[in-house]
Amino acid sequence: MNLYQFCYGIVHWLVGLVNNIWYWLGDFLPWYFGDLFTAIGNFAASEGHLWFMTLLVESVVVVVIALINVLNFLWIFRKLSGRILDFYGPYYVGYRIGGWLQNLADGMKLFIKEIIVPTKADRLGFLLAPVIFVGSSLTILAVIPFSVDFGISTSESGEYVSAGALFALAAFSIAPFAILLAGWSSNNKYTLIGGMRSAAQMMSYEIPLILCAASVFLLAGSFNFVEIVDAQSGIWFFIPLFIGFVVFLICLMAEVEIIPFDLPEAEAELVEGWTTEYGGMRFGLFYMTTAVRSYAGGALATALFLGGWHGPSFLPDEIWFLIKAYIVFTVFMWLTWSVPRIRIDQMLVFGWRRLLPLAVLNLLIAAALKSGGWF
Amino acid sequence: MAEMWINMGPQHPMTHGLWNLRVKVDGETIVDAEPEVGYLHRGIEKLCEARTYPQIIPIADRLCYGSSLTWSHLYCLTVEDLMDIEVPERAEYIRVMAIEMQRIASHLMWLAAYAGDLGLAVGFTYTMRDREVFVDLLQALTGSRLTYNYPRIGGVAHDLPPDFERDTVRAVQYMEMRLKEYEDLFDGSKIFMMRNVGIGILRKEDGINLGVTGPSLRASGVDYDLRKDMPYSVYPEMDFEVVKHEDGDCYARYRVRMDEMWESCRIIRQALQKMPTGRWRVVAPRNAPVGTGLGRVEDPRGEAVMYAVGDGTDRPYRLKIRSPIFVTVSAAPKILVGYKLADVVAIMGGLDMCIGENDR
Amino acid sequence: MSEGDKRSSAGVVGIETAPSRVGENPERRVLRALAESFPKTVSEGTQLRPGVMRAKVDRSDLYSVCRTLREDLGFEHLTMISAVDYDDRFEIIYHIASYQSRLLIELISTTPKDDPVVDSVSSIWGGANWQERESYDLMGIEFKSHPKLERILLPKDVLYHPLRKDFRG
Repeated sequence: MNLYQFCYGIVHWLVGLVNNIWYWLGDFLPWYFGDLFTAIGNFAASEGHLWFMTLLVESVVVVVIALINVLNFLWIFRKLSGRILDFYGPYYVGYRIGGWLQNLADGMKLFIKEIIVPTKADRLGFLLAPVIFVGSSLTILAVIPFSVDFGISTSESGEYVSAGALFALAAFSIAPFAILLAGWSSNNKYTLIGGMRSAAQMMSYEIPLILCAASVFLLAGSFNFVEIVDAQSGIWFFIPLFIGFVVFLICLMAEVEIIPFDLPEAEAELVEGWTTEYGGMRFGLFYMTTAVRSYAGGALATALFLGGWHGPSFLPDEIWFLIKAYIVFTVFMWLTWSVPRIRIDQMLVFGWRRLLPLAVLNLLIAAALKSGGWF
Repeated sequence: MAEMWINMGPQHPMTHGLWNLRVKVDGETIVDAEPEVGYLHRGIEKLCEARTYPQIIPIADRLCYGSSLTWSHLYCLTVEDLMDIEVPERAEYIRVMAIEMQRIASHLMWLAAYAGDLGLAVGFTYTMRDREVFVDLLQALTGSRLTYNYPRIGGVAHDLPPDFERDTVRAVQYMEMRLKEYEDLFDGSKIFMMRNVGIGILRKEDGINLGVTGPSLRASGVDYDLRKDMPYSVYPEMDFEVVKHEDGDCYARYRVRMDEMWESCRIIRQALQKMPTGRWRVVAPRNAPVGTGLGRVEDPRGEAVMYAVGDGTDRPYRLKIRSPIFVTVSAAPKILVGYKLADVVAIMGGLDMCIGENDR
Repeated sequence: MSEGDKRSSAGVVGIETAPSRVGENPERRVLRALAESFPKTVSEGTQLRPGVMRAKVDRSDLYSVCRTLREDLGFEHLTMISAVDYDDRFEIIYHIASYQSRLLIELISTTPKDDPVVDSVSSIWGGANWQERESYDLMGIEFKSHPKLERILLPKDVLYHPLRKDFRG
């Protein structure tokens, strides 16, 4: 049973239950109201409405599970930081589960803080930027399935969005726009420089990122995640496309803005960069969204290069997928804490002069493999 | 983007203390810079005029939170010069050992802050962890961890605690092992080298002219260390080398401090070996004669000088303190102009700011 | 840089290697040179201890004495400028060091109480800039032709000079 069927079952049962009450209520009314009731009930039970409601329920399920994952990610992030950086990490809140509740406590604390909009800020932009940032990041999660069965599919047979991988990459690259908007509208020099850096930085990493993804699309012959992962049932793409895999991971680190590439919020020189003026739960949302993006980046790398949910059958597919995504994330953290921050001009040089040629080379390798008939 | 002034400070992660660096940037390139200090001015020089000589030792400790022992040591040297006191030899050896420990602790704290500035989180926590070793040693020796109040006019407050030699030898061994690890961690990191080599070049002539002293000047190729060139205490007995580099960039400043820690380890060992037995304190007179006293030492941050004027009473008539960082900061615009905004943290971090002594 | 380079690069030039005449130590040589160049204004040249000298300079000739020290005698490092408020005078004390000959000279210049003005030496040593500002800020000594004589440690609107003895908080 896939997620669509599961959610369809729930929706079907709920609609039936509500309709029963609805029709029973209708019996007490005069005939002209009763007919209207019957018409509404019939519409609710119609196939189109059930499909729509199923999609909604699917989205809720996927996002909730993704957010629980994000809590896990944050917890792993903190514990792993502690292991690497020689401190304990979260410990007391949720003592018996290794401090897992610390993030919830932090979130609660951020929730009750005052929301401040600077007087001279551009109010619309200031309020819109977090929405765009968080919204676009959560959208990525919608198209990445955990397995053939678990993902937002649009029909009973498990069809996925046909250009899911493209959609995910597109949604990924909306964030620099939100950062630029936030940086400009906060009316603060640090945030402005942070926003500008984000825009400049995006140019340098986005193109190699997409080129590396393109080599995968070339080998798999599809933009659909399920088909891409199916194409890796024999050999995972990171073996033939190793250069592309490394470049992709580096670009993903730049995409999720963690330390060698966290230039827009370089805390040593720009205070907190583009998030300087944001406080309270908005800051909490940014913090959470960074984890969402790390998670989405790990999931993307897993689906495109690491064979997705393929793995020995003693564990369910979904677990394999998550394990791989967690491993990618762990590597990110490991790198983050062991290298200093790069400078913005060095970042641009690195992106244009190193990553881009390597990505093109990788694309050529992919083309050769494809035309040679190995894939 | 048009040129604009950016305030890096008074409350800014870069500042390590309370000061303000106004930089004028054209895009990301610095075209002008202007340090503003004085946020932490406590009037210590005036305060000292109202205290008796022994009462000033704790105040001298408060001059610098990074290396407070060297400042109280400097104060005691100055007053001993003023009062013409001969310090027992054992006290001199204990002092030299303690201030070299303080130098290592101070350089480690600098390294931690520097790594933190550059975004290298591992560098921050590991160096702070290893600084604890020397802070613990100093705690065993003096009883406190930050402001030690240990040197006295005419000696030191008390003798070495039991097992101190053993612990010190172990700590030095541990430190030498760790220093190798740091050299792997920092010099082995491509990004660290990219952020340091060729950044913030201070030419030799500029450094001399602007009064930059200490490791920052030795990194520019000037071979001048007061421990060697105008020796005080028992430094002439010690066998160590003056570390210098020719490049004058951030990497050279980093290298000089790293190598100085090696030399400090050597000095601590020798001080332990050569330490004589005997008294560690003589009684100092209450009143100073009419006259002046001058103390000039090699602080971890540069050349620290105190100038005391005595007027025959038990309080100094005037105590002038020369802070190395105060003069070094005034050279900051010369170093900063032409580099990127992100280099500000590397350059100013590489100068090892300490606002306590800067503002006095 | 390898281990060997690091150890060998730090050769030390001691005091004894500084050029000196036979029978005359470098301290005497410096004091004699100063006294010969400025017979009227430099007085009481004494050697305090090895490597450290003291001389008194009339404030009218301070700038040229400093210039001679910097350019002819190799005193390239202005260590410290201190100002002391005595009952009848201000003393401005310059500690000037030489990196080549490892000497330190203490120049004492005196100004009357009602006219605390001396020449600025910040055009000779760039490091004097902030130290002169500090002396101005805390002691109220005015340095003629200083590029930017403003308060540095205290706020700009403070009306007093706190290190003076007649200052009562």
